[in-house]
Amino acid sequence: MSGDYKFDTLSLHAGHVPDERHGSRAVPIHQTTSYVFQNTEHAAALYNQELGGHLYTRISNPTVAVLEQRIAALEGGVAATATASGMAALATAVLVLCSQDDHIVSSSRMYGANINLLENTLPRFGITTSFVDPSDLAGIEKAIKPNTKMIFGEVIGNPGLDIMDVEAVAKIADKAGIPLMLDCTFNTPWLLKPFTLGANIIIHSLTKWIGGHGVAIGGAVVDGGNFDWGQNDKFPTIAGPHYAMDGINFYEEFGPAAFTAKFRAEGMYNFGPSLSPTNAFHILQGMETLPLRMQRHMDNTAKMLAFLSGHDQVAWVRHPSLADHPGHELAKRMMPRGAGSIIVFGLKGGRDAGRTFIESVELASHLANVGDAKTLVIHPASTTHSHISAEAMIEGGLSDDMIRLSVGLEDFDDIKADFEMAFRAAAKQQKARG
Amino acid sequence: MKHQLFDTSIHIATGGRPFANDGQALVLLHGSGQNHLTWVLQSRYFAYRGFPVLAPDFPGHGLSGGTPLDSIEAMAAWLIALLDSLEVKTACLVGHSQGCLVAIDAAARYPSRITRLGLIAGALAIPVNDQLLTMSDKALAKAISVMTSWGHGPMAHMHDNTQPGHSFLGYGNRLMASNNEMALRNDLMACNQYSAGQDAATKITQPVICILAGADRMTPLKHGIAMANSLVNSQKIILAGAGHMLPAERPAEVNHALRGFLAT
Repeated sequence: MSGDYKFDTLSLHAGHVPDERHGSRAVPIHQTTSYVFQNTEHAAALYNQELGGHLYTRISNPTVAVLEQRIAALEGGVAATATASGMAALATAVLVLCSQDDHIVSSSRMYGANINLLENTLPRFGITTSFVDPSDLAGIEKAIKPNTKMIFGEVIGNPGLDIMDVEAVAKIADKAGIPLMLDCTFNTPWLLKPFTLGANIIIHSLTKWIGGHGVAIGGAVVDGGNFDWGQNDKFPTIAGPHYAMDGINFYEEFGPAAFTAKFRAEGMYNFGPSLSPTNAFHILQGMETLPLRMQRHMDNTAKMLAFLSGHDQVAWVRHPSLADHPGHELAKRMMPRGAGSIIVFGLKGGRDAGRTFIESVELASHLANVGDAKTLVIHPASTTHSHISAEAMIEGGLSDDMIRLSVGLEDFDDIKADFEMAFRAAAKQQKARG
Repeated sequence: MKHQLFDTSIHIATGGRPFANDGQALVLLHGSGQNHLTWVLQSRYFAYRGFPVLAPDFPGHGLSGGTPLDSIEAMAAWLIALLDSLEVKTACLVGHSQGCLVAIDAAARYPSRITRLGLIAGALAIPVNDQLLTMSDKALAKAISVMTSWGHGPMAHMHDNTQPGHSFLGYGNRLMASNNEMALRNDLMACNQYSAGQDAATKITQPVICILAGADRMTPLKHGIAMANSLVNSQKIILAGAGHMLPAERPAEVNHALRGFLAT
């Protein structure tokens, strides 16, 4: 070993070395709830975090650990914890960091469920959020209060595709002595590793590009290990005595991995958002080809942008790679390989034309997911974002005619032909309506 | 726990248990550019088995204040001063890498205070190449990255960790980056300049266990074996395939070996 392994190699290998007894080259599925202890002392040592190891699959599991170690390696973090979904990852991370009367500053332009959690659910538990346009750096700084415990946002907003200036927001968070937590589902570590720009905690929905096959739901929380939890008195349950394990001080005991230690001891232990070992196995199969798929996603996205931008039935197209996108230069700088494979667009004829288009495509699938190997389409206003208010829709930059397209890996000529056919159907209907 | 020594606040990890001072201690000494977190999987383990554990951050390291010391002899003297101020009469010293040099120097110069030694991934001399010395002064992040890479064995490079979800390299980098910016430079200079190890070894008659790494690229195995052979009352254990960061890479075997040694 002459140096650290590169991204493509880590995607295939990180977290797993074939065991000596069986030599299984593929990661085995440890489909078990529990693990036989060597003796009572060994059991106590595992519960007390004196040793690494597994005691109950709600807390950790060998197959899941391979996935966690692989995502930690790809992101350049100190550790990762996998969860049953991306939303489980976010909700648990917030609850591990925040307590009653705490406050969050968040991007206003995000996935509907992220907004719902912060806007409607967490206030019932005394955790409130101020929403700010992610491009409004002064507004983000101004929204921070003495009880603010984190800044949260999406690198590429869903579905508006707003781009957050990670480095600039990380500086604001650093100045305030609070962590920057980012949902990095849309960028994946292949496009951007936000820890290198100062982000502190990363949330993933592994269901999307990282899995890539649409067969398993999963999430992850990755710890950058680059936040000093002891720099102020804002995080007493990390840098002060915690009820678990004789009043453990996670900061002093585990240093850069303090957040992960608390996430495991409290988040996994008390909330139990565990990822099943079989789902971890499925997601690992996807991760093996992440670099290859992402390159193809970017190639097809570029072709699709050229196609849509030149089509006379398309009223508008939005993607950070297009020069008229407000985050174009920022996206180019942060993500030189591409700004993701989600495109949003509207058809001439508005919502009705869009509905006809979605109902007419045959190769593309109409469903509520993104990042699949297959091309997907959906109408956010009536589905993924239907639970958020009209005001929040406007604030989030979402229009009623918006179609969200997740560009897949098919031969582009076939996707193009499918879209041409659906565009013709939409045009025919518009004409019939006069 | 926090402790004042020479007007400096010193952080000492006690393994999550209050330090019950009965005049003896198991003292864990970290290596170059490291701190008490080297011993994450030893300090709690031994503290919860009744050992009075002290894993200090040397000045300028980890959560301790002050300026990093600049020689192995100064570190050994500082260690004895720390034991004095804590009213610890005798100690078993367990060192990792540079910590082995400190332990050897202290044991030779203060034989009545040091009852036995555990030397992990050590040698009697740890010369440092000029390129790394320069890097630690002019390009600290690069030096940390290089040392973290060299310091870990093949399984660690594959991120195969006994602690679920943890990355050896990610953690190693962040641990080193958390120290005073002079810490690594001073430590490497101190190692490079220390030439009294062989002489000190001849004076050590206390029981010693040497736990060595088969794939150690920082203190190669042959130097560890030479160290063990120079100590009259020593035993050695070699963990094949392990890298320099033995306490993290092979915690169960390190703890088992140390525990057996401490029980004799």
